[in-house]
Amino acid sequence: MVINPREATRPPLVEEERTLQSGAAGAPLRQSNLWRDAWGRYVRNKAAVLAGGIFVVLVLFCVVWPIFSPYDPNAVDFALKSQAPSLSHPFGTDNFGRDMMTRTALGGRVSMGIGFGATLAILLIGVAYGSISGFVGGRLDNGMMRVLDTLYGLPYLPFAIIILAIFGNASFWTMVVALSVASWFTSARIVRGQIITLKENDYVRAAKAVGARWYRVLGRHLLPNTLGVLIIAIFLELPGVILGEAFLSFIGLGISPPDASWGQMANDGRTVYRTSPHIIAVPSMAIATLILCANFIADGLRDALDPRTRET
Amino acid sequence: MTTFIVRRIFWTIPVILLVIFMTFVLMRQIKGNPFRTSDRAIPAAIQQNLERKFGLDKPWYVQYYRYVKGVATFDFGPSLVLRNRDVNDIVREHFPRSLELGGLAFLFAIVFGVLLGALSALKANSIFDYSAMFFSNVGFAIPSFLLATLFIYFFALQWDLGFPTSGWTTWQSKVLPVVALGIGPMAAFARLVRGTMLETMQQDYIRTAKAKGLRWRRVVGLHVLRNSLIPVVTAAGPTLGFLITGSFVIEQIFAIPGIGRYYVTAVTARDYSVVMGLTVLLAVIVIVANLLVDVLYGILDPRTRDART
Repeated sequence: MVINPREATRPPLVEEERTLQSGAAGAPLRQSNLWRDAWGRYVRNKAAVLAGGIFVVLVLFCVVWPIFSPYDPNAVDFALKSQAPSLSHPFGTDNFGRDMMTRTALGGRVSMGIGFGATLAILLIGVAYGSISGFVGGRLDNGMMRVLDTLYGLPYLPFAIIILAIFGNASFWTMVVALSVASWFTSARIVRGQIITLKENDYVRAAKAVGARWYRVLGRHLLPNTLGVLIIAIFLELPGVILGEAFLSFIGLGISPPDASWGQMANDGRTVYRTSPHIIAVPSMAIATLILCANFIADGLRDALDPRTRET
Repeated sequence: MTTFIVRRIFWTIPVILLVIFMTFVLMRQIKGNPFRTSDRAIPAAIQQNLERKFGLDKPWYVQYYRYVKGVATFDFGPSLVLRNRDVNDIVREHFPRSLELGGLAFLFAIVFGVLLGALSALKANSIFDYSAMFFSNVGFAIPSFLLATLFIYFFALQWDLGFPTSGWTTWQSKVLPVVALGIGPMAAFARLVRGTMLETMQQDYIRTAKAKGLRWRRVVGLHVLRNSLIPVVTAAGPTLGFLITGSFVIEQIFAIPGIGRYYVTAVTARDYSVVMGLTVLLAVIVIVANLLVDVLYGILDPRTRDART
């Protein structure tokens, strides 16, 4: 979904002319705008700022550390088996003598990759489904919501497991598909709700009255205004997907070794937690940190972007 | 009210049929055949006989019809892998443990979650509030497999408090799995109750109740708590899904022979009929729970009756 950022900055209730003005190429936007206000509100929330910082550090660590790490993540050395954290191995080594810090970073790439990939897919499906349902309305809307109700009845993890079983193997992409297909329902509901509320706005009526085609109304007036909700939704969906991946890997249905994900690493540690608990604790703590941060970021974003629907 | 309930109940029938249908369609997409995964080569004739015996040679709609008929009479069919056992046997043997685990965890979550949330709201911005909310946020974020292993590591092994590390027999063996499974939803309930209570306390009717001289205890008991518990009812539906998901992991760690643990075994063994039966069973539980939630919600909050059919 490509949205011109300047379009999206347009607060609701602004007429076409203003759009044309601010849409002029390169014109500096000095007036108080939605995103700057939102940023101001976000920064005031200390917990959210801290969580955002830790989140960025965690992502950077996973992306950058494997490049600089002195250890080969897959080099097996049984002489160094299951060592507790030390100076040379800050997170210790696993039961194959591999450096846990490097593997945690690599596992984070996979886990976060699956997490963000699936979240993006969830939002795309949600936007498509929700906007059609909300925009067309009437019988179609009713029917589509009934289907959604039915899908809600399917328990999440078994559903994802069956989809994985259909693919026959678990890889990065099959995980993304399985997790997103099993959990796009909430985002579709959110988008539909937004579209239905926005549809009643005067500027939408005005756009229709001046003869804008439906795709223009939807693409320029409705969808950009759901952007705020969607950004919040990213951080609301991410924990569920990351946990889903971890759970699937933990019960042995995740991606196959030697590729690591956090869930896979926790699964490795499961059998040896009595003697070396750090092997399960390190990847699990990484998951916990990510989820904790995502929750605080979502809270902060909700207060910042959607002050009307404040919810604690 | 009665029309609302009746309509709501009738509506679940097509939903259940559709869920069975979708599970059915999904299961048919899975490649591989349960009879071919075994190491022994099975002669083609026996293969055919087996498929005829289990009705796998019939067209899909006949299979679907038979299956729905079976489900309607609580007969989920035979296991394709284990001889002489049908899905009902498996459910009867494994389900009670999972139900007990889930039920106790739910009870734990709701009792302590509401308590924690209510106390936090009443003492908002105090040390207690902050630590309770910190605890809730962390409890919500920590994956249950970490909690479970930490519990075993410390409570069962390091400090030796008399909790066994696995199994589902004595009450001691049930404490750790129940708490490990229940902490996530408990944290969610605590946050939810705190939020709604703080919001309720700002309502006009609370001010009115205070203004007319009602004692604060009574205001809280009569008005605040009662109105704040409505969202808890709504949250009970998703919590059930959470508990089902969690039980898959918890049963694995504590070696509890429940449904979640069996499910994973059945998937790897390609035991279609068991996987399907268990999925349908879990789905029906979720659907029925949502039905109860909606009805309860309709009773507690009359405004929703017309909006929700």
